[in-house]
Amino acid sequence: MTDLLKEIEAQIAGAKAMTAKQNVGVIREIGDGVAKIEGLSDAMLNEMIDLGNGITGLALNLDETEVGVIILGDYTQLKEGGEARTTGKLLQVPVGKGLLGRVVNVLGEPVDGKGPIKSDQSYPVEKTAPGIIRRRSVSQPVQTGIMPIDAMIPIGRGQRELIIGDRATGKTTICIDTIISQARLNKAAEAAGDKDYRPIYCIYVAIGQKQSTIARVIAVLEETGAMPYTIVVVSAASDSAANQYLVPFAGAAMGEWFMDNGMDALIVYDDLSKQAVAYRQVSLLLKRPSGREAFPGDVFYLHSRLLERAARVGAKYGNGSLTAMPIIETQAGDVSAYIPTNVISITDGQIFLETDLFYQGVRPAINVGISVSRVGSAAQLKAMKQVAGQLKGELAQFRELAAFAQFGSDLDAKTQAQIDRGKRIVEIFKQGEYNPIPVEIQVVVIWTVQNGYLDQVPVARVKEFQNKLTEYFTTRKGQLLAKIGREKALGDALKAELKAAADEFTQTWK
Amino acid sequence: MKITRRAKREAQQLYRFCLVNGLLDENRVRQVVQRVIATDKRDCPPILAHFLRLVKLDCAQHTATIESATPLPADLQTVVQTGLTHRYGPGLTTEFAERPELIGGMRIQVGCDVYDGSVRGGLEALEKSF
Repeated sequence: MTDLLKEIEAQIAGAKAMTAKQNVGVIREIGDGVAKIEGLSDAMLNEMIDLGNGITGLALNLDETEVGVIILGDYTQLKEGGEARTTGKLLQVPVGKGLLGRVVNVLGEPVDGKGPIKSDQSYPVEKTAPGIIRRRSVSQPVQTGIMPIDAMIPIGRGQRELIIGDRATGKTTICIDTIISQARLNKAAEAAGDKDYRPIYCIYVAIGQKQSTIARVIAVLEETGAMPYTIVVVSAASDSAANQYLVPFAGAAMGEWFMDNGMDALIVYDDLSKQAVAYRQVSLLLKRPSGREAFPGDVFYLHSRLLERAARVGAKYGNGSLTAMPIIETQAGDVSAYIPTNVISITDGQIFLETDLFYQGVRPAINVGISVSRVGSAAQLKAMKQVAGQLKGELAQFRELAAFAQFGSDLDAKTQAQIDRGKRIVEIFKQGEYNPIPVEIQVVVIWTVQNGYLDQVPVARVKEFQNKLTEYFTTRKGQLLAKIGREKALGDALKAELKAAADEFTQTWK
Repeated sequence: MKITRRAKREAQQLYRFCLVNGLLDENRVRQVVQRVIATDKRDCPPILAHFLRLVKLDCAQHTATIESATPLPADLQTVVQTGLTHRYGPGLTTEFAERPELIGGMRIQVGCDVYDGSVRGGLEALEKSF
């Protein structure tokens, strides 16, 4: 005991009273998640401000005499006249593999009730995107498991591919399918002990969505076994506009960690239209000047600085990639509105979904004619390129001829054959939700279409043919599928084997 | 009272006119107020309201409030005053106040800068660290 007392006395004797300088201010005005604080002369842009009661704010407006702060928490607990102080820290979120399988909020705090998150590292929410020197060209594919996308609008690791369409056209479903596909591929590679395969971890950022919708997405990810490879970052519609504006940046920070540590990640922003609306709300409350559609002048910068963070970086700079799939919701198919045109110009391609196609039963309702992937073809699997190279042109030709054929019934044999082939291609591209198709199966199916195996099959039975063919190849020709997956290109020998298998199948199919 | 951007801009100009070597000149401030009132313009009240706010902020910026649990001895007051003048330059007004709730030590505030060496401040920091 005496030793302990001596020890404490020695520590007291050696202790020096340090008085640190603090920068304080007074809350002058507060409301709707935004506060005006007088003072805080040393505040930095995007610095975290301690508002008391455990509530944090983010300095967004630095004026001569006051600072505009967005409040990240329950602003009703704060009052005018309260003291605020600078912290000298930028907004940070925890990062790392400990977040996989978890549902977190904008500050990286768990909201799934599964206990604290194991993470000893954090990344700033706002970070400068990698420059040209740090980047590498996109050359590895992201297999979405959605046939029209993998065949005609391929996405590469590090690419930014926009999903755009009206409400209820299947935008989220495409992204969820892609996440499920990644989880299946990751699991398969783990089971096979394939060390060359680079798993893709996914981050799903839900912005301004109903809690019930988010719960449904999480349930689907859990049911399909994709959750262990996925982080869900949530700011629901009931959250403050400040949180909804910041949540994509928090998700990007979590994705960047994978990119910086030699891993690949995919991030889905669902959706950026709602983020833009939240940012407009925050900006108007901060009394920033408004422009077109009342959005602030820097709304383009808001999206460009977010999407520029998706990249594939060189071996010296992390050797990883972050692929972004932002979603934009259009109003009545108007892609020439302010936010859609901005995001179209920022991304490396877009997938357009159409309501008309959706109700015609073409699901996913992708309009192949105006959808494009600007960098993905370099990343497409060679086997897929071999079989699907002509598909986009054939489909475009089919649509043109089909429109022309409506005026008369007398068509020459060649035109009729093109129309018939087009109908069958449209049919095989129909796909159920949450059911991604492995790339080898896609290659086989498209190869059979291109080689006329479906020409004699009635259009109404094309789907049945495709299902049986898939079943036949998975159960009886597993080795051939594995070979396609391994060799990644269709050589003469492989083509001969494919032909033999397809012939065998067509003989048995009735 | 709604203070328009124009009123704010004009008040800012008037405030800058009152600065001499970076310090507010009291005579100029009085003159400005008298002349603005004399013009009898419609937007005089908002201009003067914003001008008053700027003057108040300037005064706070050049006022050092030194709080302690017990009254400070005269020699210590001089040392503190000299130190603050050295750091913040001339034109600094010092005010000494007694605040028993600080328990011990001293708390100095100059504008937005706070140097909290009080026992209470230390306890609060300790509480936060837990």
